[in-house]
Amino acid sequence: MWWRSASFILDRQQHQNRTVAPSPESFLLSSPPPMADSPLNPKSNISAYYQTRAAHHAVVTTDWLAQAQAAVGRHSDDDGSLGGDKGAARIGGGGGGEEEGSGKAFSVIDEFNSWRKQPALAEAVAAIRALAAVIRTSGAATMMELEIELKKASDSLKSWDTTSISLTAGCDLFMLYVTRTSALEYEDFNSAKSRLIERAEKFGEISCKARRIIAMLSQDFFFDGCTILVHGFSRVVLEVLKTAAENKKHFRVLCTEGRPDRTGLRFSNELAKLDVPVKLLIDSAVAYTMDEVDVVLFGADGVVESGGIINMMGTFQIALVAHSMNKPVYVAAESYKFARHYPLDQKDMSPARRPIDFGVPIPSKVEVETSARDYTPPQYLTLLFTDLGVLTPSVISDELIQLYL
Amino acid sequence: MKQPPQKKDGPPVASSIAASERIGVDRSVEKERKKDLPPPRKQFDDESRGGRAKRRSVLNQPEARNRVELFRHLPPHKNGTQLPSLESKFFELHEKHPAVYKVGLQYLAGDLSGGNARCIAMLQAFQEAIRDYSTPPEKTLTRDLTSKIGGFVSFLIECRPLSMSMGNAIRFLKSRIARLPLTLSESEAKTTLCSDIDRFINEKIVLADKVILRHAATKIRDGDVLLTYGSSCVVEMILLYAHELGKQFRVVVVDSHPMLEGQKLLRRLVVKGLSCTYTQLNAISYVMHKVTRVFLGASSIFSNGTVYSTVGTASVAMVAHAFRVPVLVCCEAYKFHERVQLDSICFNELGDPDAISKVPGRVDVNYLDNLTDKQKENLELLNLKYDATPSDYISVIVTDYGMIPPTSVPVIVREYRKEYLLI
Repeated sequence: MWWRSASFILDRQQHQNRTVAPSPESFLLSSPPPMADSPLNPKSNISAYYQTRAAHHAVVTTDWLAQAQAAVGRHSDDDGSLGGDKGAARIGGGGGGEEEGSGKAFSVIDEFNSWRKQPALAEAVAAIRALAAVIRTSGAATMMELEIELKKASDSLKSWDTTSISLTAGCDLFMLYVTRTSALEYEDFNSAKSRLIERAEKFGEISCKARRIIAMLSQDFFFDGCTILVHGFSRVVLEVLKTAAENKKHFRVLCTEGRPDRTGLRFSNELAKLDVPVKLLIDSAVAYTMDEVDVVLFGADGVVESGGIINMMGTFQIALVAHSMNKPVYVAAESYKFARHYPLDQKDMSPARRPIDFGVPIPSKVEVETSARDYTPPQYLTLLFTDLGVLTPSVISDELIQLYL
Repeated sequence: MKQPPQKKDGPPVASSIAASERIGVDRSVEKERKKDLPPPRKQFDDESRGGRAKRRSVLNQPEARNRVELFRHLPPHKNGTQLPSLESKFFELHEKHPAVYKVGLQYLAGDLSGGNARCIAMLQAFQEAIRDYSTPPEKTLTRDLTSKIGGFVSFLIECRPLSMSMGNAIRFLKSRIARLPLTLSESEAKTTLCSDIDRFINEKIVLADKVILRHAATKIRDGDVLLTYGSSCVVEMILLYAHELGKQFRVVVVDSHPMLEGQKLLRRLVVKGLSCTYTQLNAISYVMHKVTRVFLGASSIFSNGTVYSTVGTASVAMVAHAFRVPVLVCCEAYKFHERVQLDSICFNELGDPDAISKVPGRVDVNYLDNLTDKQKENLELLNLKYDATPSDYISVIVTDYGMIPPTSVPVIVREYRKEYLLI
């Protein structure tokens, strides 16, 4: 919207004359309506992935509870599916699942949602478990049919939440495995089917093992007496720090507050349970304390082809500050988070929004930046700890090419 | 006045890169390495270069005067003054097949330019030559055909030095010929080779371009201002495709003397209804602040991620980097090369020096016309055709294998070079 030169007014005039845009107000207000107006806007703008993460890891606030109540009231007449509720209330963004029913008694979306609600489970694992459930309940008689069904299920999962990278990556990985397996035609169908299901189950274990491998590999990078800065709530990072604490390393952790999900509060809770000295910072205090920091550690929502990461909003900022002060930035991510995206700049990803509650009412004319994530380019990252080993950012593309091509 | 070309001791292979690393290494290790390394390229001023090539040369080129010292290792430009006499020789008997002769003359005249066009024309000429070929008695098809192709290639090199794409295609063809099973009859072998060439052109160029179009079009958003330099066929296809998809964007075409290739691109874009801006290279930092994406083509990409492309591309990429505008280089994977090049000097192509001393259509600024011969002795004109852009200035390379960072070029070369040489 805002061009970089003064001719933006002319440009917009031309643009408005070209398109049939009915914007009666003055120039400055021809932006889309601010998010604060419509907090419960399922499917179009709000990212279900970030809603779920907030539910898992953030502090429960009063208006979240109110949303949840409202959502439960609206979706009480959902089609009775295998997936069903596991006792937890549905969040507003999850309501899109009912559209995918299309007459089938089983909905992969519901299954996925139910798995995803478990806090310990990674997104990709939930997706793969949902796809395994599709295999179990499918009536296909040949490998080809099964593949087609799986492809449909995987596409519907991916399109239901386009903002979750590990979901897309997990679906793609499983489909890749299926197509490679189905090339071995000599087996009979049932044993192939059971092998696929077994593989899906194993994937869950692989994911837990992955976290342990990453924790082990990263131990060499923390020395006694170091200060670690973390941002966001990553289960992998928690595992890394847990292992370090168990190995009797002396270190302390600086935790950013992590607005708006307040992930920092939750994370510092967990660390306090481990008897690790923790200090909370507000997000703006990162540059102020960067002198004391030895190591910066992030998790990642997705690792992209350029070697950069997509993570909670604020990661890029902290990486920039760390880079300019020559502090190493490490990322802990499992290998199933590698995705074939290639963002060129911050706005080049599909938008993932999440409503922000400032605690005070905001006038409706004021726009709010509600993106939930940002992209950190590879030149600001030092190393990535993955279950494939400790990698530099340029190796990610190498791994992806070997995996997908 | 002619100084000895090599200034270092060691084997008499002049300024090629491979030689410099052999100095000070053990003899035995050297011998090992000599087997593994590809033979170093002979540079133009190397005295040990085969006299055979000179004797067989069709074009008799006098040594051009006043060549720049730093670039003496590059062959001088062949200007088109010989063209009429060469055209008259077209129907004379010589061992060059007429199709190959025609393509060579087109290169010399400058009618054919652009990596893909040259490569396709050359391969199609070779196809015709193979179809008309018949094995002489007492000779095997593979060896004789390979040497014939080698003859054609040296003729084409004389007309205009090979581009990287052509070099890779020739390597492909030679390896296909070498892998022909001996049991095939001559006609079967010929049809196999022709269909291999067709498949190469189809898979590596035509279909690859379609894949690149799809990937690159995802990076164009409504409201974008796209900048391109010179005339690259792939970039033109991308812009037209995105326009067909209905995306609203503007194009800035940057051009430079003496080739003025951008004008051709501009004409073709305007005809299709895109809104374009045209400017010269000296205005690049003036327009760059409004640009959102830069699309560039490439003649080749080396293993360290360096992009080898039309001269001026490096400047565009560097200015874009300074303004933090993402630079996308669109290049088919068959143009990737294992070579590593650090600068634009050690390997390049010289263009016509007289072309840069005139501005066409502007008599008032042609100050160099009035120099006396004595004054002209002090003036050295240098017209380079290519330059090398370091990988730091490139954001992403769009190939038929997807969008990859510049650091992944050796991965593609490693994984897929074997594949296409063996198909």
